[in-house]
Amino acid sequence: MTDYVDAGEAVAHRTLSNVKGEAPATRNVDYERIQGARSEPENWLTYYGTYDGQRYSTLNQITKDNVRKLVPAWVFQAGSTGMHSGASTYSFEATPLVVDGVMYVSGPDGKVWAIDPKTGEELWRYKHASPFDTSLCCGNVNRGVAVGHGKVYMYTLNAHLIALDATTGEKVWDTTNGDVRAGESGSAAPLIVKDMVVVGSAGGEFGVRGHLDAFDAQTGERRWRCYTVPKPGEPGSETWPEDGEAWQRGGANCWITPTYDPELELLFQGTGNPAPDFDGGVRPGDNLYTDSVVAIDVNSGEIRWHYQFTPHDLWDYDSTMENLLFDAPDGRKLLAHADKNGYFFVIDRTNGELVRVFPFVDRITWGEISPDGKVTPKIYPDEEGVPVHFWPGPAGGKEWTHMSYNPETGLIYIPVQEVGATATRRRREFKESIPYWGAGVAVDLDDHYGFVSAVDPLTGEEKWRWNHEYPMCASNVSTAGGLVFQGTPSGEFVALDAQTGEKLWQFQCGSGHHSSPITFEVDGRQYVAVPTGWGGWVEGFLPGLLGAAAGDALFCFALPED
Amino acid sequence: MTATADDRADELHAAGLDGQNRTTLGRMLGTGNVGYAEEGEDGVMRATVRIPEDQLIFDPSIIVFPHGGDIELTLINDDKNTHCALLPHNGDPKIIWLVNHSKGTARLNLDGPGAYWYGSTTGNDEGRGLTAALVMGGEVPDSAKLDRPAQPRP
Repeated sequence: MTDYVDAGEAVAHRTLSNVKGEAPATRNVDYERIQGARSEPENWLTYYGTYDGQRYSTLNQITKDNVRKLVPAWVFQAGSTGMHSGASTYSFEATPLVVDGVMYVSGPDGKVWAIDPKTGEELWRYKHASPFDTSLCCGNVNRGVAVGHGKVYMYTLNAHLIALDATTGEKVWDTTNGDVRAGESGSAAPLIVKDMVVVGSAGGEFGVRGHLDAFDAQTGERRWRCYTVPKPGEPGSETWPEDGEAWQRGGANCWITPTYDPELELLFQGTGNPAPDFDGGVRPGDNLYTDSVVAIDVNSGEIRWHYQFTPHDLWDYDSTMENLLFDAPDGRKLLAHADKNGYFFVIDRTNGELVRVFPFVDRITWGEISPDGKVTPKIYPDEEGVPVHFWPGPAGGKEWTHMSYNPETGLIYIPVQEVGATATRRRREFKESIPYWGAGVAVDLDDHYGFVSAVDPLTGEEKWRWNHEYPMCASNVSTAGGLVFQGTPSGEFVALDAQTGEKLWQFQCGSGHHSSPITFEVDGRQYVAVPTGWGGWVEGFLPGLLGAAAGDALFCFALPED
Repeated sequence: MTATADDRADELHAAGLDGQNRTTLGRMLGTGNVGYAEEGEDGVMRATVRIPEDQLIFDPSIIVFPHGGDIELTLINDDKNTHCALLPHNGDPKIIWLVNHSKGTARLNLDGPGAYWYGSTTGNDEGRGLTAALVMGGEVPDSAKLDRPAQPRP
């Protein structure tokens, strides 16, 4: 036999594509610029658009009067092929960012792209290899990147915080921040604050002790770590069994990006469920700081105050979703939070004092929260092997997907899910990397609906609702054009009148929405972009659509140029 | 029904699952050999994988690395057909085209611990048997571990 033919060396897959390999340099994004993000609505500089989490844009080229003319400007296909980590629960959940004419977006399976936001052209791509056997409760997903200091930051599925060069996508640094053998993973979009990058843990269904971490944005060196379950002797430890091991597997993970108040220098982090989710017998007490908002000093990582939405949770009612910051007419600094437990909370964000609480869903059977905040559990998995049905189900009246606030209408637009579930307590021992639920759970297959609820957070009054056959499992965005854009599980992307809730426009994207739309402007033209791709924890929030069409397209809409 | 664990290779062979066009059409995934990479003084972990004639399998089909890091994989196609390998790598997957009787190299970087699949993405090589695994052992750095006492594992 002759010598082997020289096959050479393996090359990057992207070199066999039309990817340009480079994005234009943008102006630097730093702390000062992100603080002023509202003043440059042409960009979407940070996860929520602004630190306050309002998901509101002052752009007004697309209005109630012309939105019916909205058409796709381009479509970007993420390209879901081959074996994924957690292929069964793939979903495109991200929030795109736009900086000075460059879009940055992450996808499932460790992918990040820089895209020309006018044409959809792929400028560069990065793919972090994701171990196929990572413990994941809720899919092979990523909710977005942070952009600043010339870099793009992503928290990978296997809990590495990585920094990429914003112009080339080449890796600059890589810091391992979580223990995949302990069931940790990463899915949240990082947040840039000052000269740091902040990101939180995932793994509440595997008994991970939750934490939020801050890193030097230039080097990746950790500045601080804040655990959201206290050790014995620390404040809050009295809410856990004194001599038990429960705190070690306590949960309270931080898998959604916090909001931030630069004046108070406080991060407002929502925390996840206690572990095990449904078996409270092994963790008597309130279990701080699970299911809470914790106000964390951005300089030290210390918890300044907390408010717990569901003490001693027995229903998987994470409170990780956003804490939206707004000010009352009298100047009082407030925070709004629509919890999984079906109640809407308004809190004084300077001290954690409850201002108002009211239900925002139709069906609540798990318990009751009085106007002064007293929590009374009523129905919960208690007796071993006995099924218990409750509303809202474990995905909540609202899951992680985000509401928006329009300061002109004074309304908050909540994507609401009406789905119940049955849980049957089944005690099990804890083992690292094995799901630690303490119950068998089946979410209702056919009794479900949803709506967008426009609520006045100052009174609790619902001004209007837009009803839909299916629960709302995606974020919305509101604009100064008097519009609210909302994606549905059945694929429609709709524009609603912010004053009345009337549907003014829709486009069928071909796959359900479980992501966060944004709006931006380039060269005087306003765009609305939304990733589509049904999946994620569908068995938790809408199992009735487990068989719905998958997808992986980022749609970008605009008014016709002529 | 009977099942076996101790003599799995014999059982797979007897069941006609470890070759081409026997009980089923291709070779069942995950039925090949296990190999181990060697770590050089330069810290690079090296291993060789071959595609034997008419077997449509990467041999070994599971390569175990002691920990995450830099890998140098030598790929040899001893088959009389053309194949390729699309391999995981931090940054972007890498691809190498392997014509009949050819030899090449892939330099990869992968995190550990965890398992990664790769395959020959031409025709339906992957479904016939040319899907294999790179398995990274080890632990994450102490700085990434949770502050808690050691916990039980399965």
